[in-house]
Amino acid sequence: MDEDDRHDLELHRLVSARERPAFDELYRRYGRSAYGVALRVTSQDLIAQEVVQDAFLALWRAPEAFDPARGAFRSFFLSLVHHRAVDAVRREERLRRRTERAANLEPATGEDPAEDVVEDAYLRVRRKEVRAALATLPPAQQQVLEMAYFEGKTQVRIAEELGIPIGTVKTRTLAAMRKLREALREEWES
Amino acid sequence: MTVDHERIDELLAGYVLLSLSGDEAAEADRILVDHVPSCATCRATLSEFQAVSGDLALAAPPVDPPETLLPRLHHAMDEVPLAGRTPRRGALIAVAASAVALVAMGGLSLVLGSRLSNAETRTGTALEILSAMRSPGASPVNVTPQDQTPPDSGIVEVSAPDIRTLYLAAEFCPEPAPGHGYQLWLGSDGQWTPVDKMFWPEDGVLLVEVEGVDVARYDEIWITEEAVGQPPTRPSTDGPSWFGSLT
Repeated sequence: MDEDDRHDLELHRLVSARERPAFDELYRRYGRSAYGVALRVTSQDLIAQEVVQDAFLALWRAPEAFDPARGAFRSFFLSLVHHRAVDAVRREERLRRRTERAANLEPATGEDPAEDVVEDAYLRVRRKEVRAALATLPPAQQQVLEMAYFEGKTQVRIAEELGIPIGTVKTRTLAAMRKLREALREEWES
Repeated sequence: MTVDHERIDELLAGYVLLSLSGDEAAEADRILVDHVPSCATCRATLSEFQAVSGDLALAAPPVDPPETLLPRLHHAMDEVPLAGRTPRRGALIAVAASAVALVAMGGLSLVLGSRLSNAETRTGTALEILSAMRSPGASPVNVTPQDQTPPDSGIVEVSAPDIRTLYLAAEFCPEPAPGHGYQLWLGSDGQWTPVDKMFWPEDGVLLVEVEGVDVARYDEIWITEEAVGQPPTRPSTDGPSWFGSLT
């Protein structure tokens, strides 16, 4: 566990004690990453904002949901945001299908996400490592991971869209996850 | 019985990416309850895959949230009810019309409320419940408070054969104790299966959506209060609970 992880733990402890400044500090640290992934998954400004708000509120409401013994706060919280984003985008899709009309929500602004957003140095480093690890994956594995993670698609749907057996989707997904685990493990351990 | 860890790894990878559906999602749920807690290898795999999943979020470009988001968040935090506080009826009724639906079916009525802070998400769920209730074969089920559970906190379950989605709705659901949440269980022949993640009411209003559930496989529904942090293996009888028959 590095110094930044320990700092997160301390902030989480303070949030558990209802310390608002600690909550704001966690928002400052992770708000951009949370909004970035929520926007990437949902492609909708308003839904992404709701996702981020709900995730931070869930943290405020039940900080006990994070168990430090199970990993870094960063992974826990960004997973929470991702889960909520996928839930939201699937809900929207079902509503669209059922009502056969477009969702009554503003489209994404279309602005290019700012790569020069100011964020903590350790997150910049970690982001670089994750992207480097992703780049080592074969394109076919990157594709199924992208469709599952950032498009919120099920393995069944991915198989349908790519016209490949679902077993192939599973194999590629598992291979991708194992390679990423190996690539990122050194960083976790350091 | 031989354990196929390759198969379990496939399911765990799909599970952390939220890409399982149907029977495979149910199989993963069973494995997470029946096998993973007692298998150090699988616990480690799950933990590492979850870490990968969390870090994958960093592959998306960071984006500054709107400046209005943090003030809205602060406002919503002020409204988060303290554990154990009785839900305020007024807070539920004073909701924008777009976020409220009144449903009357078979003598059963419920008000689906939502706070403005996340009105769209909750309105979406409310609309889906309405849609589900119109599905062929839909039959709302009363999930009634047990023992010391507040008698006016009844929960309604809605599902239909063709949607493989289960909804829970309640108007006056008490907050669980600190460090606890509510867990849905489905039972068949006395065997109880925890379904999906824990959930919490908001200002007393409960709107829950559980996907990929084949309700026809079960004959009873139980909602219990469980401690956060460890996946429950059997329904707790210590806190509030609600019970209903699906047959």
